[in-house]
Amino acid sequence: MRIIGVYNIKGGVGKTAAAVNLAYLSAQAGFRTLVWDLDPQGAASYYFRIKPRIKGGGRKMIKGKRDLDELIKGSDFENLDLLPADFSYRNMDLMLGDTKGPVKQLLKLMRPLSMEYDRIFLDCPPSISLVSENIFRAADALMVPTIPTTLSMRTYEQLVEFLDGHRVMDVKRMPFFSMLDRRKKMHLGMLEDLPKVFPEMLKTPIPYASDVERMGFHRAPLGSFAPNSPAGLAYAELWKELEAGLAG
Amino acid sequence: MTGHTYQYQLGDSDSIEALLTALSSQFHLGTEPKKSVRHLLFDSFDWRLFQAGMQLDEVQDKDGHHLVLRSLADDSPYETIRLEGEVPRFTWNYSAGLMRERIAGPLQMRALLPVVEIRSQVIGLNLLDREEKTVVRLQLEENRARPAGRADYQPMTHLIRLLPVRGYDKYLKQVSRFLSDKVGLLNQSQPLISLALEAIGRKPMDYSSKLDFDLQPDTPAGEVARQIHTTLLDTLEQNLPGTRADLDSEFLHDLRVAIRRTRSALTQIKGVFPDAIVEEFKERFSWIGSITGPTRDLDVYLLGFEGYRDTLPEQFQSDLDPLHAFLVSHQKIEQQAMVRKLKSPHFHKLLKDWRAFLSTQADPGSAGDHSQKPIKKVARKRIYKTFKLVLEEGLAIHPHSQPDELHELRKSCKKLRYLLEFFQSLYPKEEIKPLIKTLKSLLDNLGDYQDLEVQAYKLREFAHQMVQEGAVPADTLLAMGMLVDGLLKRQQEARLVFAERFAQFADEQHVERYNRLFATKQDAKLNGAPS
Ligand SMILES: Nc1ncnc2c1ncn2[C@@H]1O[C@H](COP(=O)(O)OP(=O)(O)OP(=O)(O)O)[C@@H](O)[C@H]1O
Ligand SMILES: [Mg+2]
Repeated sequence: MRIIGVYNIKGGVGKTAAAVNLAYLSAQAGFRTLVWDLDPQGAASYYFRIKPRIKGGGRKMIKGKRDLDELIKGSDFENLDLLPADFSYRNMDLMLGDTKGPVKQLLKLMRPLSMEYDRIFLDCPPSISLVSENIFRAADALMVPTIPTTLSMRTYEQLVEFLDGHRVMDVKRMPFFSMLDRRKKMHLGMLEDLPKVFPEMLKTPIPYASDVERMGFHRAPLGSFAPNSPAGLAYAELWKELEAGLAG
Repeated sequence: MTGHTYQYQLGDSDSIEALLTALSSQFHLGTEPKKSVRHLLFDSFDWRLFQAGMQLDEVQDKDGHHLVLRSLADDSPYETIRLEGEVPRFTWNYSAGLMRERIAGPLQMRALLPVVEIRSQVIGLNLLDREEKTVVRLQLEENRARPAGRADYQPMTHLIRLLPVRGYDKYLKQVSRFLSDKVGLLNQSQPLISLALEAIGRKPMDYSSKLDFDLQPDTPAGEVARQIHTTLLDTLEQNLPGTRADLDSEFLHDLRVAIRRTRSALTQIKGVFPDAIVEEFKERFSWIGSITGPTRDLDVYLLGFEGYRDTLPEQFQSDLDPLHAFLVSHQKIEQQAMVRKLKSPHFHKLLKDWRAFLSTQADPGSAGDHSQKPIKKVARKRIYKTFKLVLEEGLAIHPHSQPDELHELRKSCKKLRYLLEFFQSLYPKEEIKPLIKTLKSLLDNLGDYQDLEVQAYKLREFAHQMVQEGAVPADTLLAMGMLVDGLLKRQQEARLVFAERFAQFADEQHVERYNRLFATKQDAKLNGAPS
């Protein structure tokens, strides 16, 4: 089982879109895949038409009193399941703080799923918090959607500082370009420059595309209704890079 | 995607229409386009997957070509792999993975053969909740079946299956209640393969190499003998096509076992057939034994090859490759020679004559003098006599006994084993099974002792043959020498284990069991035991 966190300190950069689309591709490739919607807003759950609600509430689950297993919902797609969001996740920091090993609690909760799933994608809320630290400690790979702007570069630097400062070394960092707009000069410039500073940058950029926005209308992963659109193909390439990174 | 598959039986196509109407008046349904699916179900000739609770299903539809290993309990898939070409016949043709791991245990060396073919027209329905999310999948299947690859399709049970979506049990229960209570459908708990076989007039497990007679104690011995021989002849004939086509090594093996049992039954069930008949057929069946022997020998080497190779240190293992090539090519040659003989008029006449003899009414004048005696009496006597023989021969063996004495003992043990197996249904199961088990363990040991030596000498013969046939690398001969050495060492080990195995057989309580089951009062007196 490999855990992939999709994370950025900033909001609205394409985390949920990436988590949902990559998970779909992973399931299509035959991996038994789970998406854990950790964001109380429940955007990922919405894309799968699943109610953002955990039976019995999030607190019991985070404390380890309910097996994740019983709370999982099947999506409309083969090999692809979802652990829904819950409104109580907005207090997840506090809940995690109450446990014995606050920074490794999410990992501990996911371990029993290792026989059942090959890949778990974590769709994370923005900001740095105890939740995000849990994600850094649990994940094998951290995918960081990064809009090609100078500001985004700064936030990625911040993340790197945090990870180094907290000695989070076991997670493979995989920043990638998100919402690339080739008409914008700054985007093209960053596309050139950023990999020089951060060689871990993945090669495939996800273009800015209305097809991605249409996911909200279809309430489904892009691959299920427009697999051959430019953005659809870009996610497919990105997924290959992710798998190669997990293997290497 | 786990859980029990709810499955119901449907009537004809009209009732499918009615069901669709009923369902859509009650539930919010999405439909998927009708698709046709072809299933080809595989198992070994002796139903090893079925016995292990599995069915192997080659599925072809518009979504592709897959091989699905399913549970027998509810048809749910254990493992699925994508297929490029045909279904691989042997486990070693599968790439490493869960599929191979699952089937390798039960199948061992047996080939997967197509058993029955199903054509389905499948209508997929999705039960949707208020968010238009699929919460239960329904699958309506109009099925037809035929024997794999030939003949016309026969009508087969139509089905509706409910495929659960994880986390939505509530809806699943709703629909299943609706189908059983409101629509009045009947649960159908049979696996796909059984339903398909039923459609073509077959049942699973209709072949087994195991002896499983259901004898009555008072049936005349002559009649029982005919029954046993007829069953053995059936087994022989069932294994013929697979042997001729060399589908796997076990057809020939089972065929040879049937021959050996036949010859043993001819000798052991004494006085039921005219002596001339017994002598004639013993000899004629011995001919089949001899024409099939060389192929079986080579099969045994090929089956054990990996095991042999693994006994050598790794750097010498590849030196055995030429031996493998030699075995493969000679097996082919022997197999072809054997098939020619198995197709000869001589062979056919033998089977025909034998069946003719077995099916003619016994003429009391010509039959042997035991043929009218109740089988229980005849069996008891034979078993007890043979048991005494085994005991006697075994007790005479000491650490310096000649190999021949052990070989003789093995022969007697085999006789006893066949007798116990032929007649086991005449005795309480819990009494007879332990006797067979102990005997089998002794026989395994004696078999090792003899066969390992035979194999060692045979390997030397191969080495000479290889040299004669052309250039053999010296390294290959050396590696074969190591194998010979290893075999002889194991043979010596087997000799050391013998005493312990025989002690189990000669154990007081074990002997007492034989006495209790098979000794007459007279025997008991002779034994000095209280009657
Ligand atoms: N490549 C893209 N092209 C165009 N629109 C996109 C693209 N990726 C995401 N969007 C849109 O941008 C919005 C935010 O995307 P998304 O929800 O994936 O980001 P997020 O990082 O998960 O946000 P949040 O921090 O709120 O969870 C959504 O409306 C989405 O449809
Ligand atoms: Mg999001």
